[in-house]
Amino acid sequence: MSTQQEQPQEPESQEAPEDPEMRGTESPQQERLKEKEQGLAQEEAVDESDLEGETVHLKVFRYDPEVEGKQEPRFDDFYVPFEKGMTVLDAVMYARDEFDSSLTFRHSCRQAVCGSDAFFVNGKQQLGCKTQISELKQPVRIEPLPHQEVVKDLVVDMDHFYDQMHAVEPYFQQEELPDGDLEEQRQSRENREKVKMSTRCIWCAACMSSCNIAAGDNEYLGPAAINKAYRFAMDEREDEEIKEHRLRIVEQEHGVWRCQTQFSCTEVCPKDIPLTEHIQELKREAVKKNLKFW
Amino acid sequence: MAEQYSSFSRGGTGWLLQRITAAFLIVVLAFHFFQLHFVNHAADVTFAGTQARMENVGYFLTMVLFLIAGAFHGLNGVYNALVNQGLEGTQKKVVLAVLSLAGIALIAQGIWVAVAMAGWT
Amino acid sequence: MSQSYNRGLIEDFGRWKEFSAGMWAWIFHKFTGWMLIGYLFTHIAVLSTAIGAAAGDPAAIQQETDVYTTTIQGLESLFIIRVLEVGLLAVAVFHILNGLRLLMVDLGIGLSAQDKSFYASLVLTGIITIASVPTFMDGVTI
Ligand code: HEM
Ligand code: SF4
Ligand code: FES
Repeated sequence: MSTQQEQPQEPESQEAPEDPEMRGTESPQQERLKEKEQGLAQEEAVDESDLEGETVHLKVFRYDPEVEGKQEPRFDDFYVPFEKGMTVLDAVMYARDEFDSSLTFRHSCRQAVCGSDAFFVNGKQQLGCKTQISELKQPVRIEPLPHQEVVKDLVVDMDHFYDQMHAVEPYFQQEELPDGDLEEQRQSRENREKVKMSTRCIWCAACMSSCNIAAGDNEYLGPAAINKAYRFAMDEREDEEIKEHRLRIVEQEHGVWRCQTQFSCTEVCPKDIPLTEHIQELKREAVKKNLKFW
Repeated sequence: MAEQYSSFSRGGTGWLLQRITAAFLIVVLAFHFFQLHFVNHAADVTFAGTQARMENVGYFLTMVLFLIAGAFHGLNGVYNALVNQGLEGTQKKVVLAVLSLAGIALIAQGIWVAVAMAGWT
Repeated sequence: MSQSYNRGLIEDFGRWKEFSAGMWAWIFHKFTGWMLIGYLFTHIAVLSTAIGAAAGDPAAIQQETDVYTTTIQGLESLFIIRVLEVGLLAVAVFHILNGLRLLMVDLGIGLSAQDKSFYASLVLTGIITIASVPTFMDGVTI
């Protein structure tokens, strides 16, 4: 059922670094991978055979303002036969295909790339396709993302999230191009390393949903948008002026200063982006920039 | 968005000052607790004893700075907490005005008290 | 945020069992911060008796019967005030220790240990508070 595979790691560069120094240093990325491997080892230790032949009990949030019987939000129970490697997404798809075709949720890639299926699973924002049923306590409670308008069942309105993402101008801006038609805009290996984690965002909005400041202050840019701004502000290929422009966007009153370092975004991000770290770095950059002007 | 080139944006100044006052307060608050509960017992405080401390200009200035830093840090913290909860528009301006006035009143009253303690009235 | 179906604040906080360290730290920091600013106002109000004492009879100051001295010593003789003072100490110590933790986080130091440093703040606050009880309770009975 599941077409899940081990996620291919992003290639670090075209050729493996020859320089032993480059290889020897523990980049934050390598540290994270190590942590992850340890995590995986633990996860594998969970005995899947316990669940073999069992059914999984799902409690799925139902709500549809357009259908009379569903205007009052409720939870429906589904009992889905467990299969090895079954994810939350697999389970709700089974429930939809076999039991209730009106059960509505978004999904597409089924491999943590498209960012459409962030749900609130057992009280935590998680990607349906990246969350193993075998790791969850039963009954598995599946709800739409909190702090966003519910359109229907597990589908939430993403407009506000996308607006905040677009507000930081999430595209590369560089007027000056290198001479020569076929010349590339090269980035140094170190600089790529620096922005690497921030480039991984899949716009799933899990972070925004977990943030209780974003819940209170509707104008707050939110972790994902600030991380986007970080991705470009730290890219050395853009001019200094553009960097300043980007810093001015994130240092608005409803930008980085609203972050209260609760780390909730960092904890839920399915792509392991160190969001809080990036937000804090931008705060310091903004202060530094302003001190320079003083 | 207000474009500001030569001065701190409002949020940034507040953020930085909140941390600078925090760093100062750590030291002074710890000193203050120690001074009035361990070195001198709070129960044994007398006006004469207080005066003996306050007459020292260094101590007086430290206490006044402590007051100013504490008032700013505390009230700015409260203001931030309310903005975080989505306070905006007129309400926000009113809250800012009320908190600023409360802060100024607190500092003025506190300085008056400190001067009286030092016996410079 | 406008919501067609609003799960609301109650449910947000009804989920407190799912809160993580960083969120608890934030809530406690807020709570202790508000207590401290509340206390600062009260504190200045009580100390304002010094204005009356300074303007009053110097002989009273000599005999320790001026308003300032009597107010403070009167308050300090109350058991409940001493208990509240220990509470204040706990609040201040937690705010200081977690404040240090937040300053480190702001400087980008030790971000991966942020949960451990929160637990450390809690434990240290407990220890310091308990260790201070004898000093704070000295010479007062119920
Ligand atoms: C003594 C050392 C102190 C340290 C290290 C400290 C540290 C901090 C820091 C870093 C914040 C910002 C938290 C954030 O924005 O994420 C904060 C908030 C705050 N502090 Fe302090 N502080 C100290 C003393 C005080 C004192 C004396 C008061 C009261 C007069 C106070 C009242 C507050 C308040 C009200 C907040 C805002 C809490 C909120 O967000 O609701 N602090 N403190
Ligand atoms: S930063 Fe992480 S949690 Fe937030 S939208 Fe991007 S991938 Fe999702
Ligand atoms: S279905 Fe694409 S991220 Fe889960």
